[in-house]
Amino acid sequence: MPTPFLFHFAQAHNEFRLPELSSICELHGIPFSLSKNPQSNDPNRPFMVIELENEEQARILAKRCILIKAIYEFYGQGSTYEELHEENRKSEPLWRKYVENTSFRFLITAYQHKIPQSRQRDVMESFAYMGFLGKIDMKNPEITLTCFEDYEERTGVTRVKHEGDGDFRQVFFGRLIVDGSARALIGKFDVKKRVYYGNTSMESEISLIMANQTLAAPGKFIYDPFMGTGSMAYPTAHFGAFIFGSDIDGRQMRGKQKEPGVLRAAKQYGVASRIIDLSTFDITHNPLRCGEMFDAIVTDPPYGVRAGAKRLGRKKSLPDYKKELTRQHNLNGRPDDQPYIPPTKPYELSHLARDLVLLSRYLLKPGGRLVFFLPTVTDEYEEVDIHTMLCEGMEVIANSLQDFGSWGRRLVTIRKVTKEKYPPPTFEPAPNDQDTHIPAHKDFREKYFQGFRSSKSESVEPEGQEQDSGSDAQQ
Amino acid sequence: MVRLITHNVLACHAKNCNTNNFPLQFKDVKVEHREAEFNADFLKGFLPKLEWKALVDTAKELGDTSLPDEQPEMLDDEFLQNLHHVLLEIHVEEGSMTCPNCGHVYPIFNGIPNMLLAEHEIG
Ligand SMILES: C[S@@+](CC[C@H](N)C(=O)[O-])C[C@H]1O[C@@H](n2cnc3c(N)ncnc32)[C@H](O)[C@@H]1O
Ligand SMILES: [Zn+2]
Repeated sequence: MPTPFLFHFAQAHNEFRLPELSSICELHGIPFSLSKNPQSNDPNRPFMVIELENEEQARILAKRCILIKAIYEFYGQGSTYEELHEENRKSEPLWRKYVENTSFRFLITAYQHKIPQSRQRDVMESFAYMGFLGKIDMKNPEITLTCFEDYEERTGVTRVKHEGDGDFRQVFFGRLIVDGSARALIGKFDVKKRVYYGNTSMESEISLIMANQTLAAPGKFIYDPFMGTGSMAYPTAHFGAFIFGSDIDGRQMRGKQKEPGVLRAAKQYGVASRIIDLSTFDITHNPLRCGEMFDAIVTDPPYGVRAGAKRLGRKKSLPDYKKELTRQHNLNGRPDDQPYIPPTKPYELSHLARDLVLLSRYLLKPGGRLVFFLPTVTDEYEEVDIHTMLCEGMEVIANSLQDFGSWGRRLVTIRKVTKEKYPPPTFEPAPNDQDTHIPAHKDFREKYFQGFRSSKSESVEPEGQEQDSGSDAQQ
Repeated sequence: MVRLITHNVLACHAKNCNTNNFPLQFKDVKVEHREAEFNADFLKGFLPKLEWKALVDTAKELGDTSLPDEQPEMLDDEFLQNLHHVLLEIHVEEGSMTCPNCGHVYPIFNGIPNMLLAEHEIG
């Protein structure tokens, strides 16, 4: 029977909250539905009421969802305590069993506010009708009952302590079932504590959310085609999946020591044996012999800010006689005995995004997911931008913005909804059709380094160093 | 790294090298054995993707003769254990892989193969 649960979410990455929840529900076959009450179904508020079938499901979610702080058995809510108590009385069948002989702790807390002690006491006394007879135990109670007052954010406004006390939007009440244990992984995968990382490494909280979007689990095979220092590989492998990674620039995966940096970091997390292989190649000239191999592809594509998007080739192709000369030169080896390093040319972001979706359609098993970041100019973004990169058989199932002001990046989750077999992509630029919509992420790199001058918002000076986009590929 | 599961899905991709470009031939290899997690579902799921003959031959070259010449219909535990070992526990750490058709040499350093093509090998 569907039962309402009170979810306490972290106030971070709000747009990622419900996609993450539905991913983990899908992974474990948990049906869920949101409350119909607008006071408890707003993904921008810390508290939401969500129906599940049983407590066990709540425990599974709290163990895996990075954005869940805790889950409670839901007893009631209201915009006043009168309303709350009325609902709580109706919930008596849920809490009656704890009345007789259960030790308990009662917490009165608030979001964005501090309740004065005197009122905390008053609130606690207003629950006297529940008639709990067990002993109060603040350290090791059998159950914890919590009352949350949710206040409007008042950032930037200075106010006297306790000012506005009692002016909450909504108050919630329930019994703690489980604290969200997945949040501790944010510390575990902290980039600064990692033995190998670089300036392209992805922050740990986001990497973990990305790993959840892939439905990572034991027995699954997951690919990162822009592996870099491997940030998403570690959490994904932590959840049990096997990983394959590749990058056009082998130095990103290797680092400076003999043992590749990605493997050293994987060892630190106890997942080295799940890094199946790493390989140096350009995705637009890749050696993969067959498709339908991976359950998911998770990646942070290069968008030219920290690590340039590039592909093999030259901006201007060499005449044939010069190609022949380089070929002869390569065959004879280089005098300094260095491995051959082919030249590269820039790879424009909207072209790359389309190729990535096509490549994923080829490489994913039916039902598999592509999870990746798409940077975009906040003011210019339109929903159709995402559609410019889709192709038959690939559907967007989530699209969450991480907002940095004038620009942002969207975590896009695409599902392969077809069983059809498709050929590998050709990686040719799309024909220049006048009618095609030009997405805001087109030429993102140029826009970034211009500080988004054409955009309406105050431009924030971009940080980070421009890298030489015409640099060479490295093994 | 360069486990045989990976070797089995890598083909030469130089321009116009479309036939007889698989399997790549190992040369001067340094092999290590490392334990990996056994997962029967993963193995069974990957089986249809494998080029069986290439796998058996390559395993033999590296000294492992545990796999039958024909892929068996019954996937018993012993077979899966052998397959697991061949696919996931044999690592080629150094050496190279040569295309049987065009002769392109893909070098392997510290377990990572360099599959980049040279300028004259791309379209
Ligand atoms: C944003 S970084 C990925 C960072 C990675 N997630 C990490 O944790 O470090 C993009 C990576 O894509 C690589 N890259 C750029 N163009 C490529 C191409 N055509 N094929 C393969 N990799 C490419 C770059 O070398 C860079 O390491
Ligand atoms: Zn070849």
